[in-house]
Amino acid sequence: MTMASNRKARVLVAKHMLEGHDRGGKTLITMLRDAGVEVIYIIYGVPEDVVMAAKQEDADVIGLSFFSGGYFENVPRLLKLMEQNDMKDVIVVVGGLIPDVDGPELLKMGVKGVFGPGSDLTRFIDMVKSHAQARV
Amino acid sequence: MFDKKTLEEAKKLAQEWQGICEKRYPGKDFGSTTNSGIPIKPVYTPLDSEHIDYEKDIGLPGIYPYMRDNYAIHYQFQPWINQQTHGYGLPEHTRERMDALAKAGMKGYFGGRAYNLVWDLPSYAGIDPDDPEAIGYIGKDGVSCVTDEDFERMLHDLDLTKTNVVMINGDTLPIFAHFIAYADQKGVPRNKLRGNTMNWQFTAWWLPSMLWEPEGGLKLATDLIQFCSREMPDWNHTNFECHAFSEMGANAVQQMAFGIATAIAVADSCVKAGMEPDAFMPGMGFQIANCNDFFEYICMFRAWRRLWARIAREKYGCKKTSSMHLRVHTHTSCYELSKQQPLVNLIRTTLHALGAVFSGTTAMELPGYDEPIGIPTEEAAILSLRIQQVILEETGITKVTDPLAGSYYVESLTNTIEEEGKKVLKQIDDMGGFMKALKGGWLISHCRENAVRWRRQVDSGERVVIGWNKFSVEKEEEVRPFRVDPEVARVAIERIKKYKSNRDQAKTEKALSNLVSAAERLDKGDYGVVMPAAIEAAKAKATCGEISKTLRKVFKWGPNYSPLTSY
Repeated sequence: MTMASNRKARVLVAKHMLEGHDRGGKTLITMLRDAGVEVIYIIYGVPEDVVMAAKQEDADVIGLSFFSGGYFENVPRLLKLMEQNDMKDVIVVVGGLIPDVDGPELLKMGVKGVFGPGSDLTRFIDMVKSHAQARV
Repeated sequence: MFDKKTLEEAKKLAQEWQGICEKRYPGKDFGSTTNSGIPIKPVYTPLDSEHIDYEKDIGLPGIYPYMRDNYAIHYQFQPWINQQTHGYGLPEHTRERMDALAKAGMKGYFGGRAYNLVWDLPSYAGIDPDDPEAIGYIGKDGVSCVTDEDFERMLHDLDLTKTNVVMINGDTLPIFAHFIAYADQKGVPRNKLRGNTMNWQFTAWWLPSMLWEPEGGLKLATDLIQFCSREMPDWNHTNFECHAFSEMGANAVQQMAFGIATAIAVADSCVKAGMEPDAFMPGMGFQIANCNDFFEYICMFRAWRRLWARIAREKYGCKKTSSMHLRVHTHTSCYELSKQQPLVNLIRTTLHALGAVFSGTTAMELPGYDEPIGIPTEEAAILSLRIQQVILEETGITKVTDPLAGSYYVESLTNTIEEEGKKVLKQIDDMGGFMKALKGGWLISHCRENAVRWRRQVDSGERVVIGWNKFSVEKEEEVRPFRVDPEVARVAIERIKKYKSNRDQAKTEKALSNLVSAAERLDKGDYGVVMPAAIEAAKAKATCGEISKTLRKVFKWGPNYSPLTSY
C-alpha cells in the first residue's frame, strides 16, 4: 500500500510495575522518538495489561524492558495471550538486563529480538521500522 | 588562605608557566570540564584558593562545618562499616549469604555487624507473593520476607541489640512493623534495636511504580520518624536515596542538590509535625554514589558535608553535632559498570571505593563485578568486600584523615561544587520547593536528559567505556548469572497462604480497620499514629501486602498501573 511510507511505526514499551531501575527503557523511548517512531509507554501488572494496551494503541511492536528478571515467567504468558487474541502481526522484543545465556531461550520462545546491556540501539530502531513497513 | 608574599610569588610563577605553555603548545587550550560541566584547568595554584577562608571553610575534622570529616579521629579509630547489599530467595537463603559475608570478615562498628538486606521488588511495592502481579519477581532481586515468621527464618539466633539490621525496601512501614512485632515477641526492647529503615515512601523515583504519591508518602515518612523519635531514638529512620538520582543520570552537583532538597522536604515536614530538629536529624542518612570522575566526586562529598552542616545549623538551628553530621552510606556507581569484559568492573569499583575512602565515608557498599549481569554471586559479593579490606588493611591510606585537604585543585573544586549546588537549591526554592520540582517532573527530566546524553556520547565514542566502545574483544568470557532456587516462588506463596489460614481472621480485620482510622488521623495531621497501628496489625498477622493495601484506602498509591487490577 502507498500509505505505508507515511505511517509512523508504533512501539508499545512496557515495563512491569515491580521492575527496578528504568534508565535503559526511558533512554530507549527518547531515542525511538527522535528517530521518528511513535512510542506508547505503559507500566503493567500482568501480561493481560500489555495485550490490552497493544490492541488499543495498534502497536506494531511490543518492547518489554526488564531489569529485575521476570521474563521467563511473563514472556511466555504474553506470547500465548497474543496468539489467543490473533495478534500474529505484532512482534515482541525484549531488552534490558538480560544475561547472554538467556537470549537464545527467549528467541526460541518466539521473541524476535533480545537487546541486552550495550546493544546497538540503531539495530532495534531499524527492526521496528522495517516491521511496521511490512505490517501495513 | 595565603599571605601576600606567597600570592605574589604564585602570580609570577603562573606567568612563567603560561609563557612555557604558549611557547611549547601554541594556540592550544588544555582546559576541560568535570562530568558536571564545571570548567577545570590543567594545573592549580594558591591563586585558585586565595579567597578560601581556612578557619571558616576548611578547618579540621570533627569541627564545624565538618567538611574534612565528621569525626576528629575517624578511620584510625573506627573504619567505615562494610555494608555489602545482600538478599535473595527465601529468608533462609539470604541468611546463607549473611553468614558467608560475616565469615569473609564483613565488619560493622565496634565489633557489631551491619547486614544490608535488600528486599525483593514485590515487597518494595506492598505486594504479597500470592498476588497475581508478583509472578516472576518473588525473591529475584532481593529477599521475599513479608511476615514476622520470615524475620525469624532470617535473623534467628542473632543478638538484635548488637546487630545492625538495614532494611532496604520501598514501602517501609509494613515491613518495619513486622520487624518490630518480631522483636517484641523476642523480648528485645524497641529502643535497643539497631539499624536503618529507608523510609522511601515517596522517594523511589527510579522505580516505574514510584510507590506513594508524594504528599501522602511524605506524611507516612513523617509518621515513621515521629514514631522513631519517640520510641527508638537511636534508630536510623531515613535514608535519602541520592545514589538513585545518580543512577538515573544526575551529575555530581545535581546528586548533592537533589539529595539535600529531598532531606529539606522531609525535615520541614518533621518540623511542621512539631518535632525538634535535634530529635530527628541524627537519624537521617544519605546514600551517595561515587562515580568515575574521581576528584569531582571527592569534592562533591566534602562540599556536601559542609553544606549540610550549615543547613542543619543555620536553617534548623541544630545544636547537636550528630544533627549536623552528614552520615553517608556510599553505594558506588553501577551505571558506569559494563557487561562487556565484566572483570574490568573490579577495577572501576576499586577506584570508586578509593574515592569514597578519600572522602571519609561512614559506610560502604560496592556492587559485584557481575552487576550488569544480575545480582552478585557469592564470589562476586566477597570480592567486593575484599576491595574494601585491601584499601583498609594494605594501602595505608586510612592513616590520615582527609589527605587531599589543602590541594589547590581539591579546595577550589570543593568550593565551586558547593556554590553550584546552592544555585540548584535556589532554583528548586524559586519554583516552589521540592514537591513542586518532583511532581512537575523537573527533577526527573534533568536526570533523564543526562542519561540520554550519556548514551549518545557512548554510542559516538566521545565517552569511553573500556571493553564496550574501546578495546572491545570479539569473544567475551561467559559469566554465569546468579540464580535463585527455582522453588522460591512456590514456597513463598505456600507460606503466605498458610500464614493467613492460621490466624484469627476477625482479629486481623479489626486491626486493619483500626489502621484505617489511624491513617485517617495521620491524613489530618496527627503524626506518629500509623506506625503503632501497623505494628498491632502485624501482631494480628496482617501481611505486609494487606497493611500496604489498607493504607491505600487513605493515601494515594503512585501512578496507576494495572488497568485490570485495582488497589
